[in-house]
Amino acid sequence: MESIGFLMQGFGLALQPENLMFAILGAFLGTLIGALPGLGPANGVAILIPLAFTLGLSPETSLILLTSVYAGAMYGGRISSILLNIPGDEPAMMTCLDGYPMAQQGKAAEAMAISAIASFIGSLIATIGLIVMAPWLASFALTFGPAEYFALFVLAFATLGGITGKNPVKTIMAAAIGLIIATVGIDASTGTQRYTFDILELYEGIDFIIAIVGLFAISELLFFIEENAGEGKPMIAMNKMKLKMKDIVAILPTAFRGGVLGFIAGVLPGAGASLGSFISYTLEKKILGKKGNFGNGDPRGVAAPEAGNNGAASGALVPMLTLGVPGSGTTAVLLAMLISLNITPGPLMFSQHGDIVWGVIAALLIGNVLLLLMNIPMVGIFVKLLSVPPKYLLPVVTMVAFVGIYSISHSVFDLYFMVAFGVGGYVLRKLEIPLVPVILGMLIGPEMEKNLRHAMQLSDGDWTILIGSSLSITLWCIAIAGLVLPVIVGPILRRRMGAAKATTGV
Amino acid sequence: MNDRIFGLLMLTLAVAYGWGAQQFPEPFGGAESIGPETFPTVLSIVLGLSSLYLMLRPDPSNGWPWNRTGLEMVCAIVVLCLYTALLEPLGFIVATTFAVGTLCWRMGAAPLKAYATGLIGGIVVFALFNFVLELPLPLGILEVA
Repeated sequence: MESIGFLMQGFGLALQPENLMFAILGAFLGTLIGALPGLGPANGVAILIPLAFTLGLSPETSLILLTSVYAGAMYGGRISSILLNIPGDEPAMMTCLDGYPMAQQGKAAEAMAISAIASFIGSLIATIGLIVMAPWLASFALTFGPAEYFALFVLAFATLGGITGKNPVKTIMAAAIGLIIATVGIDASTGTQRYTFDILELYEGIDFIIAIVGLFAISELLFFIEENAGEGKPMIAMNKMKLKMKDIVAILPTAFRGGVLGFIAGVLPGAGASLGSFISYTLEKKILGKKGNFGNGDPRGVAAPEAGNNGAASGALVPMLTLGVPGSGTTAVLLAMLISLNITPGPLMFSQHGDIVWGVIAALLIGNVLLLLMNIPMVGIFVKLLSVPPKYLLPVVTMVAFVGIYSISHSVFDLYFMVAFGVGGYVLRKLEIPLVPVILGMLIGPEMEKNLRHAMQLSDGDWTILIGSSLSITLWCIAIAGLVLPVIVGPILRRRMGAAKATTGV
Repeated sequence: MNDRIFGLLMLTLAVAYGWGAQQFPEPFGGAESIGPETFPTVLSIVLGLSSLYLMLRPDPSNGWPWNRTGLEMVCAIVVLCLYTALLEPLGFIVATTFAVGTLCWRMGAAPLKAYATGLIGGIVVFALFNFVLELPLPLGILEVA
């Protein structure tokens, strides 16, 4: 139970006035980012990273800020699901199913409150899970050698496409592209220049922050222009809330189950928040069966997916913090932040930067309480901001991206690079090549090469060391399963999710 | 069709990249079991094989917007490049008014409202960065000598 002691220290850190202030700011911005369609959590966190740098925040404060944004985005996603019938972010898709019908019946405020409570419960359960599981997993990961790490990184890529991913070959390609970009620059261990073409700016390699902001923010702008979605959609007005204690109690078991399922989906490689909310909704429908009124505005149909996706969001932090292997786009962006702060994620992080890890976990707990407070009485503010049409919003977001990147280095070259990555990101998305493996490749490329190098030095050039231990063989097997399973199971799951989507007429 | 073309491009990249890796000078201190070229070589093989697969078994294509929308997108990219180019000479506020304003306008806002958004956004961010955060942004032509 030494975790409790560490957690108390973490609270000490997270409750410092400055950190608390940034947690509140992060929670607010996060909810907003989650709520606005066209500004997903990965995108929002990416845009805020350069700002955290230029503000000169300490590593723990920056991380607390971004984790709060991350947690907030998961709350925010529901707002546009309920009022607009368009999910603010992908995991909030299932919330549309019952949230929008509730709003149509004039119960928007109740749907908001119930989903906020469910989100809170889901996050709380998953954060407790994180506290229990993370130190255990971290100490297990200490037994990993370089060969096991190499296999683990391969596993991370293989499962990133997710069980619902379409074409695993495209995931592999995306990973290779990202890793290739990561090799540009001076090789850290031999000093050899690789693919620098004698351009000075390339000597230090390509800054992944610039790439991430370009890939997400700029390509999103292009997508909105293409879809001609500048006007926004009609919104249902909020009503006065008449929520009774009885209604809250009624959804508690649902929220509890959703949180646990979500956490499991979040921890497992290849599942993620979207699947978390999908599973908890489907299961709830199965359990309650005819007793429920699912699809026509059942409050439990709002609670289940929200608890599920918030649970998954906190669960996804487990592999990211303990193994340095993110399972989703947003956690990949958080990993980018860690690497830029010179903190190597992974099992050693718990011993070397224990204060930061526990500070972040404590901040997650505090953030959730803040978010619950923010999301029930103050939901009206977010609703007002939601009515800003994308035609104004996206250009302003683009400006923020420009300012952020410019203020890191004051380099115009970087801005051109960002635009180029944006155009590249648009083309890749058009070809249905996932962006997250590209980013992950850029992030863990150097680490992956280092582990390969160490492994090969240990074995004196014998490639079989990569499959030399039972642990690494297991990891390789999971990786292969991660690529093969989607081909078999994927179409079935996708069809079900598609069918669920179709019934709401989204 | 898209996948085939992209596969071909990536195959070319893989070959060029892999060939480039073989040209690295031998690092100081002699060759080791694994040099700077090993990892890139592995990557070029992975990329090469997957792009070959993509060319042989392409997915159905998404259509490209070869119409006015496409033109609008090219416009947006040009605006972003101009924004970058003009940021320092014209200064942040003027460049932002132009860039954000044009983007809003092209996305369907009324011109006056669009440029007002750009101007207000530019001034607010400029003030925030220069006075609150003390991170100077270029003032450009607005600078009083």
